[in-house]
Amino acid sequence: MADLRYAYYPGCASQEITKEANEVTRKVAERLGIELHDMPGANCCGAGLITDYNYELSLALNARIFAQAEGMGMDIMTICSTCLMVMSTANRDLKKDPELLRRINALLSDAGLTYRGTVKVKQLLWVLAQDYGLERLKKAVTRPLDRLNIAPFYGCHSLRPSSALGFDDPQRPWSLEAVIKTLGAQAVEYTGKTKCCGFQADLVALDTAVGMTGMRLLSAKESSATCMVTPCPFCHINLDNYQGMAEKKISKKIDVPVFHLSQIVGLAMGMTPVELGLSRHLVSAEKILTGY
Amino acid sequence: MVIHDVIVIGAGLAGMRAAVEAAREGLNVAVVSKVHPVRSHSVAAQGGINAALKETDSWEDHMFDTVKGSDYLADEDAVEVLCREAPADIMELERMGAVFSRDDAGKIAQRPFGGAGYPRTCYLADRTGHGLIHVMYEQLAKKNVYLYDEWHVVEIVVEDKSVRGVIALELLTGKLHRLHSKAVVIATGGYGRLFNTTTNALSSTGDGMALALRAGAPLMDMEFVQFHPTTLKRTGILMTEGARGEGGYLINKDGERFMKRYAPKTLELASRDVISRAEQREIEEGRGVDGCVLLDLRHLGEEKINERLPQIRELSINFAGKDPVREPVPVKPGAHYSMGGIWTDVDGKTPVSGLFAAGECACLSVHGANRLGGNSLLETIVFGRRAGSAAAGFSFENKLRVFPEDALKDTARGIALILNRAEGESASGILKEARDAVEGHCWVFRTEAGLKQGLLEIRKLKERYEGVCVTDRGDGFNTELVTALEAGYILELSEVMLLSALNRTESRGSHFRTDFPERNDREWLKHTLIYKKDGGYDIRYRDVVMTKFKPEERKY
Amino acid sequence: MKTKFKIRRSDPLKAEPYWQAYSVEVKEGMTVLDALLKISEGDDPTLSFRRSCRSAICGSCALTINGFPKLACSTQILPIAKETREVTVEPLSNHQVIKDLVVDFTPFWNKMEKVTPFLLPADETRKEWVIKKEDEKAIDRAQKCIMCGSCNAVCNSLDVDPNFIGPAASAKAWRFVGDVREGHRKKRLERLSGEHGVWDCVRCVHCTEYCPKDAAPLEAIERLRAKAIEEGVVENPGAKHVLSLVDSIKRVGRLDEAAMTFKTLGFLRSLGMIPFGLKMEIHGKLPHPIIFLAIEGMKEVKKIYSAVEKRRKKG
Repeated sequence: MADLRYAYYPGCASQEITKEANEVTRKVAERLGIELHDMPGANCCGAGLITDYNYELSLALNARIFAQAEGMGMDIMTICSTCLMVMSTANRDLKKDPELLRRINALLSDAGLTYRGTVKVKQLLWVLAQDYGLERLKKAVTRPLDRLNIAPFYGCHSLRPSSALGFDDPQRPWSLEAVIKTLGAQAVEYTGKTKCCGFQADLVALDTAVGMTGMRLLSAKESSATCMVTPCPFCHINLDNYQGMAEKKISKKIDVPVFHLSQIVGLAMGMTPVELGLSRHLVSAEKILTGY
Repeated sequence: MVIHDVIVIGAGLAGMRAAVEAAREGLNVAVVSKVHPVRSHSVAAQGGINAALKETDSWEDHMFDTVKGSDYLADEDAVEVLCREAPADIMELERMGAVFSRDDAGKIAQRPFGGAGYPRTCYLADRTGHGLIHVMYEQLAKKNVYLYDEWHVVEIVVEDKSVRGVIALELLTGKLHRLHSKAVVIATGGYGRLFNTTTNALSSTGDGMALALRAGAPLMDMEFVQFHPTTLKRTGILMTEGARGEGGYLINKDGERFMKRYAPKTLELASRDVISRAEQREIEEGRGVDGCVLLDLRHLGEEKINERLPQIRELSINFAGKDPVREPVPVKPGAHYSMGGIWTDVDGKTPVSGLFAAGECACLSVHGANRLGGNSLLETIVFGRRAGSAAAGFSFENKLRVFPEDALKDTARGIALILNRAEGESASGILKEARDAVEGHCWVFRTEAGLKQGLLEIRKLKERYEGVCVTDRGDGFNTELVTALEAGYILELSEVMLLSALNRTESRGSHFRTDFPERNDREWLKHTLIYKKDGGYDIRYRDVVMTKFKPEERKY
Repeated sequence: MKTKFKIRRSDPLKAEPYWQAYSVEVKEGMTVLDALLKISEGDDPTLSFRRSCRSAICGSCALTINGFPKLACSTQILPIAKETREVTVEPLSNHQVIKDLVVDFTPFWNKMEKVTPFLLPADETRKEWVIKKEDEKAIDRAQKCIMCGSCNAVCNSLDVDPNFIGPAASAKAWRFVGDVREGHRKKRLERLSGEHGVWDCVRCVHCTEYCPKDAAPLEAIERLRAKAIEEGVVENPGAKHVLSLVDSIKRVGRLDEAAMTFKTLGFLRSLGMIPFGLKMEIHGKLPHPIIFLAIEGMKEVKKIYSAVEKRRKKG
């Protein structure tokens, strides 16, 4: 069995806007016996935006994070798909090209750091589906979610580019559905589960962004989903916080509550809506959770 | 009424180069092509383009190699133009935007190619044609050349022995259009699709050659078809000569580098006809592997393969299931290039006034009986440019003469006949039999009996073609109708090729007659010319132009 | 092996699209294009689709195969058929259908034209440029593009905004902007940074994932953005957004969302976000605007910034 100790990298979003994801992840991990070790010195991965500025800076900032995890002797676990994608892409390039790793280490040398290229980057979803294991997760379920029709929303950055991520097949992913079913709920099949939530265009082309958000939610709703779950806080921001704007843009009522992955795991383990921080969501989950 | 100064048929490298040149003169130029320019088959050229760039090389050496490679059938005046003008054209391509692969000093790199005494092949990795076709398409956009893409020319209109324009089928709507022009340049590429096993695109059906023949222009040296020695087993997909240029081996089932028995000096870099025959012999004498020989690149190492031959690796994996880094790739000869074509002079001029041709569909001849690798892309650029310039010159000097609508009505009737025929044979059925006949009787080794048999079969199929019919009666994007039209061109050219091959009772370059295995300079140092005449063909001959080199025995 | 092919057919002028099933005997090595040719040469000659080189270089035959864009000619059937038992073939999405599997490429070519798709050399007279290996490499991937349209077909931004320049034309644009010989880099970048330009990409990574030739259009978009900022083309929300994160990490090591919103949208447009902000505030969603804690080891981060800056200045 895998060593269930991780250098924990919640990502910037879950330290502020989606705090609840961070808090619930910690609680759930503790109950499951997954050790999360804080990285108080970890910087932002750059969210892809630093790649749009200077690729070497992006690599160097990520290598700094990796060097810290290397020092802790652990792999990294994040709860943000964008962090996952940015770190994995940087890690792929640094591991593939020794000359590049040498160049980036030269940039780190003033800061007294070196990355040796030994760290792996994972996200909570993969840890649950593989390292922890579905059978074990099933044993932790005390309150099966058998009344919920959940639309799994992967979004982009837990799947693509597969050359850097390589866990799920982006054409036929399985892990999120598998976790949903393990928790006793139904996983709804719908178009758009592997498409974009729109987040990266929020501040640049809001119309485009919100249009996408609406399409994903509507497609799930029309396939009779009662709620949605995502492994990514950025997706959550758009799907939940911007749901109202999306409704206006497409002139249709949606009203689909959206959960963080950790929240449905917690729910199946008997945690209360208060413990799950559900009041922090803009779309209320109250009506589908009566009785939980 | 649609009028252009110059119309170019075909949007491969030669066609676009011609159009760009004509447009440079400020003329109203249009390109009509049955596929979008970047889909044209030039895009698939892999290895490179020749030019004597270095001080230690010379255009005379390039010329000698080309003439020797042609088995002395090339016209030396044309070869001289090709080799002399090559370096300037390479530099022009760079100015247009091409980025040729570089050497360590940042200068244009050159790799060795078969039959060449000097490494003079410039390249863009192993996708030279792809790189150049996109550059030329960019120039087309820059020069505002009018583009009719997915328009299929069905007739070149000639009145009083001079060109008036073309009639074309718009694929999207199924409508026929009259396009008037003072000059027409044909640049429709080769006829690889006369065969089953070919490196050529599905669209390389020789349309322009058949149209030219029908319009009164003669076809020259149609018996000379190059068989490329390294094509993939099932599909005939090309594995560039660059693979051998970079050091690849050819081995038989015993792991022997068999070329040492056929071309002891140059081995795998002998000329293509020599290697194809050697392979065919190895296979026929039982030293092949499942109908193939093996192309072995393993000793080049992964890094070099990835840098210089990335596409070759991708194609081998995707289409043959073999990773050349780890195992040898089965290859065999496949029909690759049409040395023959529409007879032109060094300015692309045909005997029909106002009608020009350039590129693979033309025959000057610069390749004679066998083309050297790296010379075909060069031909498209040098002679595309010259034909474009000559067509522009022609249209400056001549007035437009509009052709009547009756011509369109005649063509429309012919097409309606196919579209409305209640029952008959499908074109694809006829095509399959035609290709079997051509491949069976006009392959690497040829005999009188076989060629006669092939001719017989093709003539029967031509009769059956009179009853061809289609299932798709719709107007929009009727690809079945296009296939039926192409079948007509293929049958016509098959007959011409078989006839030319039957008459040439010697072996020269790519044309090998087992019943006449020697080259016969006394009787056959001449070109075959075929004209269409009264429903049949008129065969004539023309002497080879020799200026510098005397024919010698060809050894590699 | 007999394999079922479900093909999406239509003649938009006549009727609604429909599925038609064909059974094809599939042998080892057969591609989807082989199967389509077999169908059209036998069972059903009325089936229309584009094809030409059949060796993955002409870009004619990109289709939606089992839900995702692929070149029909380089897609082996057996591996998919074994997994899904049937093969579905549809025209490329994000494109208008002309007939059956043939789509209208006009918008695709128009986007290409919008990026001025030809080199405008800085020096028209120079004969041979010295081009270093790394300069050659910078545009090598973008130059692999065969214009098959796969990337545009799966682009999520294009799906919502048909005017978006899209990944294919962006790759083409980078091929010139990244060319050492180009003379009008800044002008190109200004146009590309405008409305419906490269900043509208949502980084869904579909383009790079499904490119059959590894041309990596997203990489081209990232490089265009970085080059635009380097050339000082920063008066747009996209560039400002990036610069505000660059600044935020430099200051506190992480993303300061409130400051970023303000910097990206500017004062007035940020005010426009207030009603939305209030709703966020009620649910405790707004990041704290004043006490934003810096990460530990900010000294290291600053040193990395200055090391990168130093290298950048050296070129």
